[in-house]
Amino acid sequence: MTEKHAAPQLEVRNLRKSYDDGRIEALRGVDLSIHAGEYIAISGASGSGKSTLLQLLGGLDVPTSGQVLFEGQPLNKIGLDDYRATQLGFIFQAFHLIPTLKAIENVQVPMLATGADASTRATRAEALLVEMGLQHRLNQFPNELSAGERQRVAIARALANNPSVLLADEPTGNLDSVNSAHVMDLLRGIQKDRGMTLVIVTHENDIAHAAPRHIRIRDGKIES
Amino acid sequence: MTLCGISLAIGAFVALVGFSRSFEGEWMRLYSSSGTDIAVVEKNFLNSQINESLYGKLLAVPVVEQAAPMIFNLMDLTPEVNAIAFGWLDDTYEFNSLTFESGGRFHNNKPEVILGSLLAKNLNKKVGDTLTLQGSNFTVVGIFHGGTALEAGAVILPLDQMQLLTSMQGKVSGYHVRLRPAPPGESPDLYLKRSQAAIEAALPGLNAQLASDRASNNQFVDLAHAVAWGTSAIALAMGILGIANTMAMSVFERTREIGILRAIGWKAGRVMLLIEVEAAVLGIAGGILGIGVGWGALQLLSYVPKTNVLVHTSLTPAHLLQSLVISLLSGLLAGAYPAWRGSHLSPVEALRHD
Repeated sequence: MTEKHAAPQLEVRNLRKSYDDGRIEALRGVDLSIHAGEYIAISGASGSGKSTLLQLLGGLDVPTSGQVLFEGQPLNKIGLDDYRATQLGFIFQAFHLIPTLKAIENVQVPMLATGADASTRATRAEALLVEMGLQHRLNQFPNELSAGERQRVAIARALANNPSVLLADEPTGNLDSVNSAHVMDLLRGIQKDRGMTLVIVTHENDIAHAAPRHIRIRDGKIES
Repeated sequence: MTLCGISLAIGAFVALVGFSRSFEGEWMRLYSSSGTDIAVVEKNFLNSQINESLYGKLLAVPVVEQAAPMIFNLMDLTPEVNAIAFGWLDDTYEFNSLTFESGGRFHNNKPEVILGSLLAKNLNKKVGDTLTLQGSNFTVVGIFHGGTALEAGAVILPLDQMQLLTSMQGKVSGYHVRLRPAPPGESPDLYLKRSQAAIEAALPGLNAQLASDRASNNQFVDLAHAVAWGTSAIALAMGILGIANTMAMSVFERTREIGILRAIGWKAGRVMLLIEVEAAVLGIAGGILGIGVGWGALQLLSYVPKTNVLVHTSLTPAHLLQSLVISLLSGLLAGAYPAWRGSHLSPVEALRHD
């Protein structure tokens, strides 16, 4: 459960990100606190800066100025690789599975970064895929899976190292309405059952409004 | 294509360096089979020329049991057939390492030659036939089986006849020396060193080389090694460029995949390792194929008359291991820059790559 009085798990302070030698300002001084176990949706128009914010929260990129803190520590002190490997699970709109690996192998890839042994990797990957309802698709390659199945493999991969935060960038953007609803049910269930922090970037209003906390971004600033 | 490139490069290394090492090995066997302990030659020149009159001085050195004045040179017998030509005295101890298949020794001061069995086969000559060397006719009086490919492919004629052919009257290329047995209590190494010093003291300005050193350090072998390594290095450089190009293309094509790995927490070092392992596997695979290519090339050389008189083609385990290590290092070297570049991609930029 969200504890509003506890210290935030993720915090951004006066975050700015600009590209093209400062000519494009994607974020213009964003402040945001996210507590452990929260479920937050970030919405906004295309180019509003919502994906940039998610990338900075996930340590995929570094801000032009300002700070991102995880449990009170600036990310650059924790080490971005370690942060992404141990604390975060990423889910992308385009799934980003490795096409030459089977579903079960794709789920094992993040565990290579944490040094898990082969048997632990295989057991955990299988358990996660079973949890996603993909027990019959373990040995399929991504191009043999439907879009919904691919996203469920990607969710299993995001959970591989038992992260404390799930970051999802338009997770239903490439799915039809049935699969979209299925994936959102899965994500909400995971967030609730495991007490994980879930941050979803979306442009779909119904998904955004379904989240207990909804943040709108406009022109690089938080609107509400 | 990349595999072909590196396998041809390693093949060239295996064949050329194998050829030059085999050449060195044949020299080693040549000295050991004749029982030569020391070679006395000029200090610096490839075509060593020593006064024949020093023979007496050499025999007078107490440690010397026997000395064999000799001339050796490389000769084109026909446009297709090379041979090492030796000039010997008809009573030299070096005959002891030869076994005659037909005929026998030549005689000093007579236009006679003996041929190694391989050379006789290449020239299609038998005892009683005439062989023309530089416009002079020589009678083949013996066909011998030598202990080495150099001997099997050699033509040997009387020293005086060789001096006439090479315009070295009164000169020899060097002396091969058999030492008396080491005195009791003196180690073989110390005895050899002492003998070298004694001979050099008796013949100032000349070099008394141990037979084993002479085999590996003579200018023919040095030249063969230099050509082999130089040519192989050029071939390897091209092979390395081929792998580097393939790995750079691979990194480019897999930019998004690398971005995914970085996004899910793979450290730059692990990505670098992944690319380097792929490059190393490519190098090793090319190396294994290249060993096959090189072995095939060596077999081919052993059938070509121009080269079969110089070497026995064989690959030693050390040479194979060296080839594999060079393949591995070539792969690692070729993969280094693509690996560095791949590992330093920004995850965000890489994920955006189409």
